[in-house]
Parts: sequence; structure tokens; C-alpha cells
Amino acid sequence: MRTALTPIERAPTLTVLNLSRVRAATMSLSLGLAIWEALSRLLHVAFMPTVPSIVKSAWRLTLSGQVPEALGASLMVLVIAYALAASIGVLAGVLIGRYRYVAIACDPYLDALLGVPNLLLVPLFFALFGLGRATEIAVVFVYAFVVIAVMTRSAAATIDPLLIEMARAFGASDRQVLRHVVLPGALPTVMAGLRLGMGRAVRGLINAEMLIGSIGLGTLLRAYGNQFDAASVFGILSVLVALALIVNGLLRALDRRLNAWIELPGSSR
Amino acid sequence: MIALDGVTKTFGLTPALQNFSASIARGEFVSIVGPSGCGKTTVLRLIAGLMAVDAGRILINGRPVNGPGHDRAMVFQQPTLLPWADVLSSVAFGLEIRGVPRAEREAVARDLIQTVGLEGFERHYPRQLSGGMQQRVGLARALAVNPDILLMDEPFASVDAQTRRGLQDELARIQSTTHKTIVFVTHDIDEAVRLGDRVLLMSPRPGRVRDAITVPKSRPSGEEVEADLFAIKSRLWTELREGA
Repeated sequence: MRTALTPIERAPTLTVLNLSRVRAATMSLSLGLAIWEALSRLLHVAFMPTVPSIVKSAWRLTLSGQVPEALGASLMVLVIAYALAASIGVLAGVLIGRYRYVAIACDPYLDALLGVPNLLLVPLFFALFGLGRATEIAVVFVYAFVVIAVMTRSAAATIDPLLIEMARAFGASDRQVLRHVVLPGALPTVMAGLRLGMGRAVRGLINAEMLIGSIGLGTLLRAYGNQFDAASVFGILSVLVALALIVNGLLRALDRRLNAWIELPGSSR
Repeated sequence: MIALDGVTKTFGLTPALQNFSASIARGEFVSIVGPSGCGKTTVLRLIAGLMAVDAGRILINGRPVNGPGHDRAMVFQQPTLLPWADVLSSVAFGLEIRGVPRAEREAVARDLIQTVGLEGFERHYPRQLSGGMQQRVGLARALAVNPDILLMDEPFASVDAQTRRGLQDELARIQSTTHKTIVFVTHDIDEAVRLGDRVLLMSPRPGRVRDAITVPKSRPSGEEVEADLFAIKSRLWTELREGA
């Protein structure tokens, strides 16, 4: 019998949106909100506003046009930076994963970017691009790019060599091996990288806007934070959380669609 | 015709093949047996053009092998199916690589899916198939490109005895209708003698041809042949043991 605590060995269906999932997610979120509300009422601390006051602030900021304007500005940066990070990250990952000498040349940089706090690059971008959207795009790009490239690299490097040899035996060229074996084989891990990358992109966006932005959700957060307006800060954060959840849901749906063969019914694993 | 002439191959410091010479006629079914690690698979990979010889040469119809070619196809020890491709696209894979349009290659694939007895499984994925069925897909995929030469590397080693028997019969039937040249590597002497027109016995590493035995084909009179086959198998067993 399946219970709520049955470990997920394989997905029960192939549908992207299934009701039991939605119900479980809603229950989990409601529980989280209830705990927050209870703590906020019990503790009475200044920086833990109640749920209704957060919702009210979010609504007020939406009606005043501040949140929509900031959201629009933030989304523009996010979309441009993420599109660049995804395409260049996957390309770089495949090249580094497949070609030994590219790996030798590029690995140190990738490892460095993975280890160093990406915000340290802000002064550099600042010097290069000046104060403005371009610098924010660059910061968000680096945040997302590194993890996408690293995940793609490892996916491309660990393709079963027997499958590649099989393709070669059938006369596949380098390009055909890439297209028919490496890319589809790497796709599940690449999608995981793209999802991680999106999370990091949102984080990078808020960091960049809080630090140097003149417009956007992060800038708004900074402004209300400086006024110690906790309800507004959490109101903006809830918009951000909603954004992150929606984007991640879309990527997850894409992932399940592209990699449906992994969750086939009747599979042995 | 395949001619291997003094073929030598070394991996690092390990000599795999030393002066391997053999000649395989068009339409012939040649089994290669030998102790494990003697370089059987290396012979196939060299004929397939997946790697180059260090010394000697391999000629196919008088032309030296330099890389994989449309005249050859390989069936691997593992099914090596792409896990994201269903049976239909798996069988059509070689044709897709060769740029055959979808409708055409899928027609060929459907035909061969029938030949190997997998009709009804066109939309199944490898992990939904048993090992024997996966191996049939691998065989159909190789046949789909209609090669002159079929290179088979212990293709039935990883399936159970009963399935193996069925696959052997199927291969024998396919061979008798298509007259393809087949080079069949196995470590199973019964299988080698059962399928092959000729059996090449390899020496331990570094491999070379130690013995070549022509297998008499079954005649209506039966009995004599049975005795011959028994004699051939004992000879192979003895030599194999001596060599090891």
C-alpha cells in the first residue's frame, strides 16, 4: 500500500501535474505558514511579522506599482542572464566534458569560480560595465553559469563509452556522436544543473540588486530593510519565493517531459 | 573477403595480438574461440575499424580498413542500446546515422523487428525488455544497415541458456537466407561449432591463429556428422587446455 511516507522509487504516472502532488505540496506549504504564524504570535519579535501583515504589505506594494515595476526590472535581468548562462554553460560543459585539453585548460577557472564567492566579482564587473543593468546581468550570469557548466561537464564526461563506441561502429561522426549519444545521455543531469542554476540565478539577482541595483526586487528589499519595515521585506520576499517556485515548477515540468524515459512504467530499476 | 595478414596489436606494454593471420571468404560463417584475454574482441574491433593495427594489415575485398564502414556492422557483447530510444528508433539507429529519411528507415526497422520476433514491442524502451530481447534489438540494428559483414562479439553470452539456443537458431536461419559474412567471437565451443562453417582457435595472449577447423555441414545421413562434430569439439577442448 502507498502511504504518504512510501519512498519514491519511481513516479506513479507520467503526467506532469498530478493531483496528489499538488495536494501534498499545498499541505506542506500550509503547515509551514501555520508554524510561522504561531511562532510570530508567540515570540512577538520585531522582525517576524504575522502572515496577514505580510500578505497585506505584499498587496499594498503590488497596488502601489512598486512590486510590479521592480518585478519587471528583475525579471528582465533574470531572463537575459539566465538565457546566456544556460546556453553558454551547456556549451562550455559539453566541450570541457568531452575534450581532454579543453578540460585541462578550463578546469582551474571553473573550480575557482565554484569556490570563490561570486560577489567578489562585482567590483570587476562594476569596472567593466559601470553602474547599471549590465553589471547585474553579469553577476547573475556568473552565479548560474558555474553550476550549469559543472553539471553539464560531469554529465558529458560520464557518458557510457560503450554507447559511444557503438555509435562509432555505425559510422557516426564526432558531431553525430554528440547529437545522438552525448547530448541525450547528458540531458537528465543537464536539466538538474539548469534547475540548480535557476536557484542560484535568483540568489545572484537579489544579491546584485541589494548591492548595486537602482531598481528591482533586491533594491526594494534594501530600501524597506533600511526602514526596518519587516512586513514589507517579507512581503517582497514572498513575491520572490512565488517567482522561484513557479520558475522551478516550469523547469521541473520540462525535465519530466524531456527525460520521460527515466520514469517509464514497468522498468526494472 | 576479409584478409588479416600478420596483424599485431599492443596495448601499452601488453601485446594483444601477435602475427594474427586469417582469411575469411564471402558468405562464410567463421567462429573464433580462444582462452579469455587472447584478443578475440580485439580482432573484431580491428576489422570493425574501431582501432588501427600496429603492424600487418587487414584487407576487405582488397582494400585496407581505415575506420568503420558501411560494409560492416557490429553486434556487441552488451546490447549497448541507447536507454532513451525505443525499439523502433534503436533498430533504425544505423540508418539514421547514414542519413536515411525517417519513413524509409522505419520501414526497414519494422521489417527487421519482425525478423527477430519483436513485433509489438516497437514502442518499448530497453529497460522494459529482457536481456534476450535487448540482444535481439542489437542484432536487428546491425542487420538494418544491410552490411556485407556482420561482426559479433559474444552476442549471446549474457542471456540464459534457453534464450541463447533460440537466438542461435535465429542467427543460423538469418545467415542461411541472407548469406552474410559473419565473424562470430565466442568462448563457447559448442556454440562455435554449432554455428560456424569454420572455427578459428586462438592461442593465449598474444593471440594468433593456432588452429582452423572446417565444420562439416549436416547431411541427411546425420550420424557420421554427429561423430565428426564430437571429434572437432574434443580436438578444440584439448588444444584449448594445452594452450592455457
